Amino acid sequence: METPLREPTFLILTALAGEPMHGYGLIAEVTRLSDHRISLRPGTLYGALDRLVDADLVAVDHEEIVDGRLRRYYRLSEAGNRLLAAETERMRRNVEAATNRLRATATSPRLSGELA
Amino acid sequence: MSPVKSRHDSPGDHDEGRTAVTGLERHYGRWTALFYPADYRRERGSELMDTYLSLAAPGRKRPSPADIADLATGGLQQHLRIAQGLGPGVRLAGQLALMTATVFATGSMVFEVLAPRQPWFSHVGPFQSLGAAAWAAWLLAAVVHVVASARWLRWTVSLAVLVTAGVVPVAALTGLPRPPLAVLLPQIVLGVVALGVAGRRPWWVRLMPVAATAATVPVAIDTAPDLSYYTGYSDLSRSVLPAAAVTLLIVALLLGLGLAARRDSRGAWAMLMLLTPIGMLAVNPLGAVLDDSGPGQAVIPAWSAMVVVSALVAVIGPMLVLLALVARGRLSPGHRPPGTDIYRCPTCGEPSPTV
Repeated sequence: METPLREPTFLILTALAGEPMHGYGLIAEVTRLSDHRISLRPGTLYGALDRLVDADLVAVDHEEIVDGRLRRYYRLSEAGNRLLAAETERMRRNVEAATNRLRATATSPRLSGELA
Repeated sequence: MSPVKSRHDSPGDHDEGRTAVTGLERHYGRWTALFYPADYRRERGSELMDTYLSLAAPGRKRPSPADIADLATGGLQQHLRIAQGLGPGVRLAGQLALMTATVFATGSMVFEVLAPRQPWFSHVGPFQSLGAAAWAAWLLAAVVHVVASARWLRWTVSLAVLVTAGVVPVAALTGLPRPPLAVLLPQIVLGVVALGVAGRRPWWVRLMPVAATAATVPVAIDTAPDLSYYTGYSDLSRSVLPAAAVTLLIVALLLGLGLAARRDSRGAWAMLMLLTPIGMLAVNPLGAVLDDSGPGQAVIPAWSAMVVVSALVAVIGPMLVLLALVARGRLSPGHRPPGTDIYRCPTCGEPSPTV
């Protein structure tokens, strides 16, 4: 799978890092993780899940029948776990670099002078 | 089990909401049947339905427009996902389209430079018309195809398409001459199909547009001095473009049949993708068939007939690709011809044991 991951893909993997989830649970969790910025629809979610399953990043954990309809639970695979860890580390370094730059800019005499 | 409860999991309102959910379920089922491939519905339909129903507000009777749009998008994604050979077919069509566009650009550029100037027509510097800018952009794309990555090629082809399309408003604003729309439009459509060229390409494939260009130059140099601004582009749209349409059609058909004999469907997809540019190249003779403004068949069809043909080609060509995708999705594995269920690598088209 191409990196850097798109935000919805990253959030789906993050949601599945906790425990196996079904479609509705995943949509709710992604909405919560993104502070309601990203609200996946089922068509979009299952398209993303298909790609992740094809790439062996996500696997079906178990199935159950609710109200006569199939409910599948998905979990993160080993490869998915590794990719999520690598992507998180990459983002952490970026955040760290940006934070350091902003801190240095805020304390530099030139900027302080300009602000004054 | 996930702690997340759906809106319809609550035992309190289950019985009350069941009738409404059944009606809603039926509607979702109809839309799913319309948009999604049959195989996918069998495997995922129930699960997809469960998720939509879990998200639906209590009391809702019909899917929202946003849900229908989501089903349409998701269904199209699944049709594209399962269409074997589509990706390699798009790339093959892109390659052929790029070659054709480059050949036209070369011939037209030679004409722009070498054709004798008529004193009663205005010119654009050393060129006959603003078309020179578009042809230069296409020749740049041929060079980029040899030396750079597919990403750079897509950028260059996009630029060539934009410059070709931009010639029309610039000519209208400045009053400078430009090639006729019957020449520019097929070039733009060829460019759109050429955007499908992607991935790593063998060196001989990279050289093909440049080789085609080199083969065109002597013929164009030999012909250009006998043409004028008017006769040059008029001849191109009346005889050269339709001849190219027939040639491209024959090449695509032969490729499609040859590859189909090896149970490789990319030739068929390429053929379908090329139908729109082929139709645009043949706008002149097709317009003449529609034009009933005078006795016999018109040599130069009426403007209105050409507009109608262009619009029909622009709608029917992509529609055929869409119908083929849907038809492919509706075929269950049991109905497919034996052997066609071999999955192919989306990048190289080689048989693969997995999707």
